[in-house]
Amino acid sequence: MQTSSENNPGSGADGGRWTRRNFQSWLNRGGADTLREIAPIATLVILVIIVGIITPEFLSPNTLLTLAGDTATLFVLAAGVTFVIMLGGIDLSIEAVASFCSVVVAMTLPAVGYLSFVLGMLAGAILGLINGLVHTRLKIPSFIATLAAMGVWSGVALVITDVKPIQIELKNGFYLAWIADKTLGIPNRVLIGIVVLLGCLFIQRYTRFGRYSSAIGAGEEATRASGVNVDRHKIIAFVISGALAGLAGVMLSGIMSGGSARMADNLLLPTIAAVIVGGTAITGGVGSVWRTVIGALIISVVRVGMQFVGVDVFAQQIVFGVMLAVAVAITIDRSKIPIVK
Amino acid sequence: MNPTSSPNGKPVLSASHINKSFPGVHALKDVSFELHQGEVLGLVGENGAGKSTLMRVLAGVYAPDTGELRMEDDIIHLQSPNDAAKNGIGMVFQEQSLLPNLSVSENIYLGYEDEFMRFGILQWKKLHAAARRQLEKVQLDIDPSARTSSLNFAARQMIELAKTLTLEERTDRHLIILLDEPTSVLEQAEIDILFERVRALKQRASFVFVSHRLDEVLAISDRVLVMKDGKVVANLSNDDGLDVHQLHQLMVGRDLQAEYYRESQQRPYDETVVLEAENISLSGAYHDISFQLHKGEILGIAGVIGSGREELCRTVFGFFTPESGQLHVAGKPVHFKSPTDAVRHGIGYIPRERRTEGLVLYLSVASNITLAGLRKAMHNGLIDYERESGIAREWVEKLSIKTPSIRAMCLNLSGGNQQKTVLAKWLNAESKILILDHPTRGVDVGAKEEVYVLVRELSNAGVSIILTADTLEETIGLSHTILVMRDGVITQRFDASSGHKPQQLQLIEYMV
Repeated sequence: MQTSSENNPGSGADGGRWTRRNFQSWLNRGGADTLREIAPIATLVILVIIVGIITPEFLSPNTLLTLAGDTATLFVLAAGVTFVIMLGGIDLSIEAVASFCSVVVAMTLPAVGYLSFVLGMLAGAILGLINGLVHTRLKIPSFIATLAAMGVWSGVALVITDVKPIQIELKNGFYLAWIADKTLGIPNRVLIGIVVLLGCLFIQRYTRFGRYSSAIGAGEEATRASGVNVDRHKIIAFVISGALAGLAGVMLSGIMSGGSARMADNLLLPTIAAVIVGGTAITGGVGSVWRTVIGALIISVVRVGMQFVGVDVFAQQIVFGVMLAVAVAITIDRSKIPIVK
Repeated sequence: MNPTSSPNGKPVLSASHINKSFPGVHALKDVSFELHQGEVLGLVGENGAGKSTLMRVLAGVYAPDTGELRMEDDIIHLQSPNDAAKNGIGMVFQEQSLLPNLSVSENIYLGYEDEFMRFGILQWKKLHAAARRQLEKVQLDIDPSARTSSLNFAARQMIELAKTLTLEERTDRHLIILLDEPTSVLEQAEIDILFERVRALKQRASFVFVSHRLDEVLAISDRVLVMKDGKVVANLSNDDGLDVHQLHQLMVGRDLQAEYYRESQQRPYDETVVLEAENISLSGAYHDISFQLHKGEILGIAGVIGSGREELCRTVFGFFTPESGQLHVAGKPVHFKSPTDAVRHGIGYIPRERRTEGLVLYLSVASNITLAGLRKAMHNGLIDYERESGIAREWVEKLSIKTPSIRAMCLNLSGGNQQKTVLAKWLNAESKILILDHPTRGVDVGAKEEVYVLVRELSNAGVSIILTADTLEETIGLSHTILVMRDGVITQRFDASSGHKPQQLQLIEYMV
């Protein structure tokens, strides 16, 4: 039988000196989870304070609301990918899918009106379903399946638009009010983002799919051997990711009054960065849409902060790239993955 | 302890009071022994007796918690396999460590290419010539530039041995070679060749030889070390009429203690057939298998590695689909395409690989318990956390699972408590048929007994069980009926009801 000391591995080592070994054993005892929990919120608060000190006008309600509005699209994209990353996969096609769906909205809106937004999201869900089927049925790593999909759908969008943006005419502009306008001073995009957040948190916490997706990410073999239909839940994750990418495309078409095959360009990197910076592990199992909100806000604060400081828009990708790599390096639990490929 | 001199002079390696623990398991308890020059030391014991752990300590893979290793007069500290190699200790691995896409020469000198470099360029001729010299030591006549994957298993095993022998050029110490079950996949003729080479190499090296086949151990060893539950229980010279039976007695350590397996509580099973296999076959695994499993019956399947019993168990759980024949559950024909189908028919599986297939280690105890039967923790189609906690608390209490809380990760539980969590998962899913694949592997002695009690209670409550156990003793002690398999077919069926238990040797007769 076990003794009590076996329940406390690593306790009492090295007389409490803060050595590398002690730190490692603290990490192993669950300290890593505590760190992963606190670090993103702490980062967000510190960033807001720093940018606020440099440029006090950043803290005005107006700027903050604009910031929240800018974050909404990024968050909606990132919320969908969070499910895929949680179960150990990745979806690189979201940028292309969002652009494609903005084209769908812009092309169909004159004919079908509000229905075009439904078609946009539906198109995203279908593309996500295709991703899921290719990944599970053909047994192609999700990284490759969605990379291929990215090429295919951005190509299709380019071809059908003849590489030109499609404008939504001014007379149809009222269709876009639910996206672009404000309600009681709050940008509607922020409200859409909040609805998505609540929906995702609900799915994650209270549904079979939510439970199984974190189980699959933490231990796919054991989950399969518990009788869970792993492939089905992977497909569901890709459908959600695709549908939310579609919604992001819809939101973009509303903000920009049009659709284009390049609409969501440069959003992939900050989106994945938002998920990871928020503390969802790239290796799966650990994560939450709630963390993704924090991650998306961090990305936005950095983005807006850089604008205030006067960093070129194109140079911002440098920062997001570095942030992504650093966040993965900090959050990854190497004891779980002996070999990184 | 004072290591005493033996007639052959000083030992080349002496281990004293070695202890090694893993979370929940005390794997080596105060192990001491000596290895002499030119000696083959056989190491035997049941699964979980500590053989592999001891080998890994000697090979530098694990550092012992306490105790010391001495070579000649020096105390040595092995922190890595590299340290072991520097001290002339090499291991021939059970799972072969050769890289199939490289040539034989490259494999033999993997990590030591510097010796053949000139101005940063590898001198292939020199490398192949050196490799050929190593191959001569084991009398293997093959082209050293051949791709390793083109060679058969026995040849690859010899290459492993040759690779280990390169150590003698890199150390001043006496060479020690650890052979970890090198014969498990060899044919008899190949085993004879291996033994002949080992005997020839005794002037160059000392050997530690681990095998499950006791007759082989007796054939090759000068001395035999018997381990049980992490302790050395006997250290015998192999010249005074040692026989297989004697070794086996020592390994098991007790004559069958009926009460250990709660035999007195074994009740006759119900005559209702819950599962039936009708002439099922899977090529390369088993052929024309038929059996019936009754309500409350414990059906033990005995057989060596390669007998097909593992594949048979995994077929019943839907990992494999039989190519011909028919499975029936509760009288109805079934076709399992995946474990999902099997679980839907009330079948549960307690796998041998508990840490990868049994539990999601990074998920809480509660989530693991409800994983296979989540619907019981749901209300109106949604997960009800209070309900889930209630279920988890109930099982933690019933099976006395020791965990800091029901929301603690399974990772931190001991082997026995993890295994009970796996059991709780299937009990919550209301499985009527349980497949127990080595249910006591990596579980401490005390916790084993608890598992036996649970298995007995489940059987008496009407759950049917298919058991493949670590030891014959366990199979005999627990089962109502025993099927013996060899080379993919059932060779004998034994009634093992209380009072009619067959002897181990009776089973072995049909296993080999």
